[in-house]
Amino acid sequence: MLKIDSLAKRYGDVVALDGCSFEVERGRMLGFLGPNGAGKTTAMRAIFGLVRPDSGMVTWDGSAISDESRRRFGYMPEQRGLYPRMKIAEQVTYMGRIHGMSAVEARSAADGWLDRLGLTERSDDPLETLSHGNQQRVQLAVALVHDPELLVLDEPFSGLDPIAAETMSAILTEQAERGKAVVFSSHQLDVVEDLCEDVAIINEGSIVVEGVVKELKDAAPIRHVEIELEEGAADVLSDLDGIRHVSQKGDVQTAIIDAETDVRVLLLKAQQTGAVRHFTYTTPSLTDLFREAVK
Amino acid sequence: MSTLSSIGLVAKREIKERGKSKPFLITSGLTALFVIALIVLPGLFGDETDTFEVGSLGDGNTAVIETAEILGNTGDEAGTEPSVRIEEITFDSREAAEAALAEGEVSVVLVDGTEMIIEREEGVFGGGSGPVDLLQQAAGAIALEQVIIESGESAEAVIDIISSQTLEVTPLVEPDGDTDAASAVSYFGLLLLYMAIILYGTWILTGVTEEKSNRVVEVMISAIRPWQLLAGKILGIGFLAVIQFTGTIAIALVTVRLFATFDIPEISAVALINLAIWFLLGFLLYAVLFGAAGSLVGRVEDAQSAAMPMTIFSIIGFFAGFAVLGDPDGVVAVISTFVPFTAPFTVPIRVSLQAISAWEYALAVAITVVTIYLAIRAAGRIYAGGILKSGSRTKLREAWRSADG
Repeated sequence: MLKIDSLAKRYGDVVALDGCSFEVERGRMLGFLGPNGAGKTTAMRAIFGLVRPDSGMVTWDGSAISDESRRRFGYMPEQRGLYPRMKIAEQVTYMGRIHGMSAVEARSAADGWLDRLGLTERSDDPLETLSHGNQQRVQLAVALVHDPELLVLDEPFSGLDPIAAETMSAILTEQAERGKAVVFSSHQLDVVEDLCEDVAIINEGSIVVEGVVKELKDAAPIRHVEIELEEGAADVLSDLDGIRHVSQKGDVQTAIIDAETDVRVLLLKAQQTGAVRHFTYTTPSLTDLFREAVK
Repeated sequence: MSTLSSIGLVAKREIKERGKSKPFLITSGLTALFVIALIVLPGLFGDETDTFEVGSLGDGNTAVIETAEILGNTGDEAGTEPSVRIEEITFDSREAAEAALAEGEVSVVLVDGTEMIIEREEGVFGGGSGPVDLLQQAAGAIALEQVIIESGESAEAVIDIISSQTLEVTPLVEPDGDTDAASAVSYFGLLLLYMAIILYGTWILTGVTEEKSNRVVEVMISAIRPWQLLAGKILGIGFLAVIQFTGTIAIALVTVRLFATFDIPEISAVALINLAIWFLLGFLLYAVLFGAAGSLVGRVEDAQSAAMPMTIFSIIGFFAGFAVLGDPDGVVAVISTFVPFTAPFTVPIRVSLQAISAWEYALAVAITVVTIYLAIRAAGRIYAGGILKSGSRTKLREAWRSADG
């Protein structure tokens, strides 16, 4: 299990991390969310010793992270980077070896991943000749080649087309199913909602929400309501009690309401306003939780 | 995985990728061509026979011309091409001879073995070794011969006496073949060290900056220690440097054997080992500093300015080396021995010229080795701090503070 414990890091007057703590268990996938500049990348870099925290520590299976354990981690940094003129199969093999694999193991693992990612034909091409999307795939292969126990990916979905994103999702799910601890940051909350059982939301350097997505939703003090009337756009909800946030998109009025608000009152008010075509009352989406957490 | 195998992997990648890269192949090829040209060209131009055409009018000229040719070639080694060849061209009339002289067909006209017609008197810048002087000396020798023959000596004996050094020369310092060879080798070594530091130092510098600017360093440092990456890089490039240098020297030796007109100086094993030791010390010291400098800048364009201190130190060392070649016991020699950045340039020269005491040598080695150790520690820390910082230029102090020692 990866445990991030009370990390603090300050760059001059800028506070990057302020007592940041969260955990990632083996066999689980954690979505690591937060607005820009909240400290996601700093926290992830701290796992690899790329940032020296002012205080706090990172442990793996209960002990401080050693050079040896770090070689069993896979990392996809926010700023992608590999050797531009090196052939991709050699490059992935090299990264496998740097992580402690033998030449034969590394080569066969590299070939396997390049095959899985559809890059076999490009094996002998220098990285710089590949498209941006394909370079991303090579970067993923580098993070995976040594079959790491912990996978840390900084914005793995950014810049991927839908097909590539699907492949990425499938690979991450499979890694978690195989018992790896997986943590990735993302701004695509729908992707995180689909993929992750666990989520941690960081804001201004500390974790504001952490837990199992479903439990968080159930326990949230808010609910999500959508109303659509036959007559078209109408304001049903604004002047009622317990309404936190209302927005109108086309004919659909959406609201975030307090969880204890009596839903029957809302429905009644809607029926008084007009004929109800559509009415949903659900636990909040991850986007709702995120918005509440960081506002 | 052990530290050594991490360093080894990095070094191996460096050798493989850089060894087949265009810059490496091109510099290797150009250096080889340059060395070959340096050895072969002087042989082509420098060792020709000078041929003079001398006009001859009347009798008694042939003896003078033949004697002049013998005089011109007295310094030649047996079995080599003669330095001077003089051809006699006979004229029937003074007019024809003068016309030929004016046309430049002959460089001088000899008349009856007693008179010489030349185009004009030589000015201040006129040559002294042309056929005029040779003929003058030859005529003098023949005149002398007549005098001496009457006292029973031969012409050859006269020429021997005239062309030999009659005064015995006693040098204060006995000529010593070993020392001469050693100082020639030192000179060559000085040049090689300077070139190696500038050329391969720049490789290390830009290699480090490239890794930083294309961010691959994040992935590397997530798996291995910064100093292991730096050490692997220096070893890899150092290995290529040794390959390129020994290759160049081998080509030079083969070329000398095949084409050159001079001999390879005999080098003692001790001199060679001494040279190799200081070559390694110098290269290592500068290489780690170039590596640290490279980690401070974010773009290859800025790398040269970060390396300025090393470039200046190596230029000072190079010129100190020249000063020491001329004056191996002087102030420059003594001071530069104890400055680690100049010692690799000057100590080997002082050793070759036997102008350094044992304690000076030992102290110089100690100072340089300690400095290298400190430089490796400092460079490792600066590198670790600098390599992960973004931005075009990281301050030295900032890099130092943000990493462990």
